[in-house]
Amino acid sequence: MTELLQTLIFGIATGAVISLSAVGLSLSYGVTRFINFSYGEFLTLGAYLTVLFVGLGLPLPAAILVGMLAVGVTGVVLARIFFDPLMRRGFLPLLVTSVGLAFVLQNLVRMIAGSNPIRFPLPLMRPWHVGALFVPKIPVLVVAVALAAMLFTHLLLTFTRIGKMMRATSDNPALARASGIATARVLAATWFLSAAIGALGGVLLAMTQIALQPVMGWSFLLVVFAAVLLGGIGNPYGAMLGSLIVGLGIELGTSYLSPDYGHAFAFAILVLVLLIRPSGLLRGAF
Amino acid sequence: MALLPFLVGLLTLALIYGLLALALNLQFGVTGLLNFGHVAFFAVGAFASAIVTLPPPGSAAYLQAAAQYHVGLGLPVPVGFLLAGVAGGVLALLIGATSVRLSSHYLAVATFAMAEIVRSVLTNADWLTGGEFGIASVPQPLKNGAVPASVYPYAYLAGTVLVVAALLALTVRLTESPYGRALRSVRDDETAARALGKPTPLLKLGAFVAGGVLAGFAGSLWTHSLGVVHVGQFVPIVTFEVWLAVLMGGSGNAFGAVLGALVLMTITQGTRFLGDVPLLSGLTRSNPSFVPSLRFVLIGLLLIAVVRFFPRGILPERPRAPGRGVRRGGAVPAGGSGDPPGHGAGTAPAAGARTDGGEESP
Repeated sequence: MTELLQTLIFGIATGAVISLSAVGLSLSYGVTRFINFSYGEFLTLGAYLTVLFVGLGLPLPAAILVGMLAVGVTGVVLARIFFDPLMRRGFLPLLVTSVGLAFVLQNLVRMIAGSNPIRFPLPLMRPWHVGALFVPKIPVLVVAVALAAMLFTHLLLTFTRIGKMMRATSDNPALARASGIATARVLAATWFLSAAIGALGGVLLAMTQIALQPVMGWSFLLVVFAAVLLGGIGNPYGAMLGSLIVGLGIELGTSYLSPDYGHAFAFAILVLVLLIRPSGLLRGAF
Repeated sequence: MALLPFLVGLLTLALIYGLLALALNLQFGVTGLLNFGHVAFFAVGAFASAIVTLPPPGSAAYLQAAAQYHVGLGLPVPVGFLLAGVAGGVLALLIGATSVRLSSHYLAVATFAMAEIVRSVLTNADWLTGGEFGIASVPQPLKNGAVPASVYPYAYLAGTVLVVAALLALTVRLTESPYGRALRSVRDDETAARALGKPTPLLKLGAFVAGGVLAGFAGSLWTHSLGVVHVGQFVPIVTFEVWLAVLMGGSGNAFGAVLGALVLMTITQGTRFLGDVPLLSGLTRSNPSFVPSLRFVLIGLLLIAVVRFFPRGILPERPRAPGRGVRRGGAVPAGGSGDPPGHGAGTAPAAGARTDGGEESP
């Protein structure tokens, strides 16, 4: 019983990390309409830049924020250089370009930081004891941060002017343009938000995995895809639900079925979803 | 550095990649299927061929090689080659039967995920594949018997040339037949093809399986040329190297695909010498993964550049008389480079138009 609860705690934490990244990916899919294979690199960059800034003497929370800002700006610049010129040429060139960009970014990180795992600079934290249950602090912290970030995103999309413009652009770009929304600027803002959220997702991923590697974002990407597709692509709220299911699926599968397959459980969920219900659990625009 | 052995190795490798590109061209270039998991068919072909031809455990050859594997059937290499094609084809049938009906970018994600599942299974099935360590001592046909070791690479290259040329001829024959025309109709406008009574799901599955068989053959050629096989060889970047070869050579043109592989391998194998560049050698000493990473950066940049500036490739698909001059409806976005509609799948106006509809009801 306690083992099951323990597994559930880690499942929820994994789900929270996936969830946050999935929300970011959904946001950019909502306005660009292509599946961005380079999204995982925003996670990697976020984690590595945070470690870099901590190394430069910033306290961890400040380092995370600066890292998010830097990755957000990087996202806007990369989109301007690589994706914007292809926007009118159908989705295949965008898809292939995003794969190419993923290889470029991932290997630039490897060239600069080396391929050995780097420990994430987190202070040691003793777990809480609740009866016979160990409640480690890191998963709780991860869940809290992810929830806060998602609440922030929700408020931004629902109540602010830019959030409403983002939703309008995602819903119907032509109509949004006709209504006087500067869709190019909304697109840039969405790229910023999406990349910055990805960076935070990368930091949380590094916290749950203890160490960071250049390939971390790329290999996590399929898990995020699974969640996004499960929840209904382009729908951030569906993505949150999908992530919880995928996160629990990974942890339960690893604990009770076979520890060797790990992420393969997420891919199996992904494939099942695509076969049974390709539109995802929740449909509709965000 | 001996140039000739290097060139022979390069050509053999390029032809094997050419076969992979030929397979992907059949699936994507001709039929428009987005296969992002191509490496899986290559991998099962390689493992199938290796396992089928390895001398059985306990045999004299097994003991002599001090081998560690658990399964080996000791069959001749041609049987391994054929079974590699069967393995690739069966995997493609399994994956294709379930997912080929998915609209294009879902198919890309599904095939990508399934390739990762295949890699995960191959990594964990130690008893069959040797796990992370793989299998050394994969038999090389006729080596030290009919062909002395000194000329072996040349003989292997000659054999590879024959096999790839035969398969190229067969594929061209197939795609120039009415069947090939039906496949292209699926790519250009699936709804219209279905309206004309073409069994589009079956056509797509056929192309997918044929591509799987060809990729399985490529796996066999690869494993016997190296004499080793391990999962680490079959990472996702292989899939995208093959994509690069197809796009660079000219999507939709079988000769272009093989040529693209040749150009690609010349570039990537050429970068092996980057470590000898004086400025870079210092960096290599401080970070051993510097040069390999630089190579992947170059592949990524090349992929981006080809799609953006060179979407029709070196040998573009030849315009076909019935399609020439036929204008599509206003749904075709104005291609940035002024490609004629319906050609140059790199810009994929047809695929783009199709997704716009698919968005609403995938």
